[in-house]
Amino acid sequence: MTASSQRKQHAFVIRQLTAREFKRKYTRSYLGVVWSVLNPLLSMAVLSLIFSQLFRRSIEHYPIYYLTGYILWQTFTGATTSAMTALVDNKMLLLKVKFPMELFVLTRAYTALINLAYSLVAYVVMLLVFQISPKWTMLLSPVVFLCLFLFSLGLSYLLSVAYVFFGDVKHLYTVVLTLWMYCSAIFYPVEQIQGFIRAVIETNPLYVYIHCLRKAVMLGTLPTYAEWLQMLLWAFGMLAAGTLLFRKSRNRIMQRI
Amino acid sequence: MGIWDTRSRAGRQTPEPDTEIEVRNVTMEFRRAKDEATSIKELMVRILRRQHAYETFKALDDVSLSIKKGEVVGIVGTNGSGKSTLLKIISGALIPTRGQVLVDRSKVQLLTLGTGFDLELTGRENVYLNGAIIGYSKAFIDRKYSQIVRFAELEGFMEEKVRNYSSGMVSRLGFAIATIRDTPEILILDEVLSVGDLFFRKKSEARIKEMIHGGSTVLLVSHSTSVIRSNCSKAVWIEKGRLLTAGDPKDVCDAYEKKRKV
Repeated sequence: MTASSQRKQHAFVIRQLTAREFKRKYTRSYLGVVWSVLNPLLSMAVLSLIFSQLFRRSIEHYPIYYLTGYILWQTFTGATTSAMTALVDNKMLLLKVKFPMELFVLTRAYTALINLAYSLVAYVVMLLVFQISPKWTMLLSPVVFLCLFLFSLGLSYLLSVAYVFFGDVKHLYTVVLTLWMYCSAIFYPVEQIQGFIRAVIETNPLYVYIHCLRKAVMLGTLPTYAEWLQMLLWAFGMLAAGTLLFRKSRNRIMQRI
Repeated sequence: MGIWDTRSRAGRQTPEPDTEIEVRNVTMEFRRAKDEATSIKELMVRILRRQHAYETFKALDDVSLSIKKGEVVGIVGTNGSGKSTLLKIISGALIPTRGQVLVDRSKVQLLTLGTGFDLELTGRENVYLNGAIIGYSKAFIDRKYSQIVRFAELEGFMEEKVRNYSSGMVSRLGFAIATIRDTPEILILDEVLSVGDLFFRKKSEARIKEMIHGGSTVLLVSHSTSVIRSNCSKAVWIEKGRLLTAGDPKDVCDAYEKKRKV
């Protein structure tokens, strides 16, 4: 098989597997994929109901502030938690397929990215509702999405390998995610936190992505050089680490499965 | 990519021109901790107490085997004897601990049934999903779709979820998808015979025979010695990871059956 026809075949496999993920996800619901749009809206409504009052003075347009963080966070958790079990879920298939098994992990992360696209429909509607003026810095958002995707993908590789050997990773990761969420300043203004935790938040890649997107959409400012560096380093660093570990463990994964 | 290493080697040192698969002194060891740690907590406890004893388990022990172009080789052996490990090594899914396999992996096609169906999807969706996974292109499936449905005798059921299929219908569909391709040069069959009801079984056996006798090199694992007797030109008996005998199917099957009765 030539390289290009092989790539085409891999793309076909990814499309088929992604279609399956979506069909499965909404298999018993009437609204189906509409839920991907509704979910962020409902969550925004709930959080805004409670916290808009609380943070009235420090955050303008609280619902947008929250929603920006929420859709990125959802994409990240959606990608990593589903990709973590990708190898184990498909263990029957791993032995007979001819394409690299990375594709199973990649598909789960890609599904989360498609889901983000649906959430963006809700996001754009809300930007209109809250009369956020269009800014040219908004054109930056695809770069943020891409960085977030690469970071999530790298971590997904690490988690999926770890999960093959230790089932506990799943439970441990749930706890880690809770901590991680509170350190990402999704629903509160970061200015209210000082000291060590503040430093943790500001090195947290998720916060960096959220922060840069908020700046681009709500304030119309570009990331600083330091923020650019952070975004790219986290994305490519995590991807490199994940890919490397995955390559190295390939044979042990096959033995274990 | 690691698993393709052997292919480049194959180019340099293929011993005889008509040898298709050359298995050289292959040993496969699985290192498993004595009742392996399945949780991080357990692992920590073990490491702290230095109870990190491994035992190696030999799934295959110094197996050598050479298969010529066009041979139909049957592999017999009791469950857990290492038959499917050998198939996985030949197809490239596993890399042996020692030894090597010389074979052109791009020619190898492993055929197994009953895996990869998603019960929540319809029959049609599963044809495309399953086809994609086993390496068919979209154009190929588009072209062969109606032929697959006809062979599986599922006209009128393709828009229904596979969840609502009977087990016979599922295996018919699986068989139809897996065997619609043009016969590959090296075909590996892992327990694919005896599918579906009696009528379909005849049809599937006919298709398999067509593939087997279509000139490809075939490796076939089966519990049924009669299948091996009637189809193979050579048989191999593997027991506890060791290759016991290889040769005429009749002799090997006789010896195997005699041993099993004892």
